[in-house]
Amino acid sequence: MASASNHPVIRALLSLALVLAVGALFHADGAFFQWDTHRDMLRGVSVFGILACGMTLVIIAGGIDLSVGSILGACAVVFSLLSIHQGLPAAIAIALTLLLGTACGVVSGSVIARFRVQPFIATLAMMVFARGLAKFISGGQKISTAVQIPDGSYSYVEIPPVFDMIGARIAGDNIAVVTLVMLLSMAVCGILLARTTWGRQIFAVGGNEEAARYAGIPVGATKVLAYGLSGLFCAVAGICQAAQELQGDPEAGSTYELSAIAMVVIGGTGLQGGRGSIWLTLLGVLIIGYLEKILSINAVGEEMRLMLTGVIILGAVLLQRNR
Amino acid sequence: MRHPHRFILLTVLLATIIALPASGQQRRWTIGMSQCNLGEPWRVQMNADIKKAADAHPELTVIFKDAQNDNLRQGAHVDEFVRAGVDLIIISPKEAAPLTPPVRAAFKKGIPVIVLDRRVLGNDYTCFIGADNKRIGRAAGAWIAKLLGGKGTIVELKGLMTSTPGQDRNAGFREGIKGSGLQIIFEADMKWLEPNARREMESALARFPAIDLVYAHNDPGAHGAYLAARAAGREKSMKFVGIDALPHEGQMYVKQGLLAASFEYPTGGREAIENALLILAGTAVPREITLRSRVFTKDNLATGGEWLSN
Repeated sequence: MASASNHPVIRALLSLALVLAVGALFHADGAFFQWDTHRDMLRGVSVFGILACGMTLVIIAGGIDLSVGSILGACAVVFSLLSIHQGLPAAIAIALTLLLGTACGVVSGSVIARFRVQPFIATLAMMVFARGLAKFISGGQKISTAVQIPDGSYSYVEIPPVFDMIGARIAGDNIAVVTLVMLLSMAVCGILLARTTWGRQIFAVGGNEEAARYAGIPVGATKVLAYGLSGLFCAVAGICQAAQELQGDPEAGSTYELSAIAMVVIGGTGLQGGRGSIWLTLLGVLIIGYLEKILSINAVGEEMRLMLTGVIILGAVLLQRNR
Repeated sequence: MRHPHRFILLTVLLATIIALPASGQQRRWTIGMSQCNLGEPWRVQMNADIKKAADAHPELTVIFKDAQNDNLRQGAHVDEFVRAGVDLIIISPKEAAPLTPPVRAAFKKGIPVIVLDRRVLGNDYTCFIGADNKRIGRAAGAWIAKLLGGKGTIVELKGLMTSTPGQDRNAGFREGIKGSGLQIIFEADMKWLEPNARREMESALARFPAIDLVYAHNDPGAHGAYLAARAAGREKSMKFVGIDALPHEGQMYVKQGLLAASFEYPTGGREAIENALLILAGTAVPREITLRSRVFTKDNLATGGEWLSN
């Protein structure tokens, strides 16, 4: 069965084309044909796309990461606290935030590899813990340019330039910086998966763990690396989220893990592990992004949106199913 | 009795001597405060307001519990307060029906209960304190109609429309602008969340070249809309109005000039403690207290906002 229509990339492109056709049909007074709409869609999905990068690695390695949304929240809060309230230089704030995200991922990966805890459970624990951490660090309040002074009133500080830089658009206002960050993250993942030994090992571990072990692949280390990178991407996403909102919200990223998983799966990377690619994930990100955008420009009501999204997700997954 | 005035003097003196140690004695009241969830900044603010008001009264101790959006857990918290023998309970319930039985049980045991913001069913509580979302929405509508001179195009970014505050802030607003020439050209449910508000606003901007004002059901929603308009370079051509007016959120946005106005949705924290003190002192309080609300604009922020007429 080597026919072209059986290739997952072809099937994902088919789903995307279908969604785009719907957009061309319901173009909302031409709004769908403006570049701004597409640019804004890409900006809107960027944070999810960055999370989906790490999720793709973890899923190919045969796991799942439920903690991405919470780690994003914790990282958004820490980045805002360090750069807005503490006034640290952007490079140091970014480095420390990336370190925190990676550390969270490494902890999950180590628990999974060392203690053989199921990924679902281990990352569920991290999901709860990291959300608590975000609330603890922020005191339950958004970390914004309003700084509370000891007498209980608030003073106002300037937003550090790094926030405007990451939240801005470049190339003649035509593309958001966060979108470039997403594409860069995907390129890194793509190279890692396709061109490195470690990339081949991650496929091997996800495909058949026992066989990989017998083949002398460091299964534990491979898993730790996958979750660690997922944590790193969460931190990148958290920084992007904070920069776009001009604040660190301890609730940021709630339920984002579900969107990230949906994007990976709709792209065609199977939850069984050992198969998939980052380019499929990019297509999955675009499918979901366009779907939401089309419903939004047409001002479709919330009830219809949820029902339509459910139906279309199911349809896309059925289309992707191996026959 | 030859010297009645001397007798009176003696009595007063005696009474003072007896009363002195009593008033000097710190009567410590314990209040249990059950919050339905601390995931919303507004509820964090409510607890902070309660704490601030209670800190001014050394005779009060307040125990805070957070039910994390779980009705059963919140019910258990009320039971725990009863068993711990607190002198008064303040509860901001998650939902009316499941929390009515524990509140009733506490009230029947003789513990006064103040219900804050959301209601319980029936009459088994001491006092309800809350604001009126419909009234605030109506005031916002009337204020906006006046601001725009009775005509213009509006984008409405709604809170979760399956929640009562979202429905009331929508219905009140529609009443407030009724009869004016204001036209709502785009509306979307942003579920109280800033990233959603930004996405919906981007769609509105893509479709409509002329938008005069964005009315969002909360300040984060108005802020998200502002960020979208700024990214499109159109933030100067329209105004933004939000609701809640928390000091570090809506009021700050108004101060920074991002929002034209923010309408306060008071937490009632201070009023809860004031009424708790009255109840504990044996004074009767009204069964129903509707909080008044203020509108904050750049001009009146320094003077503490302007009270809305009821």
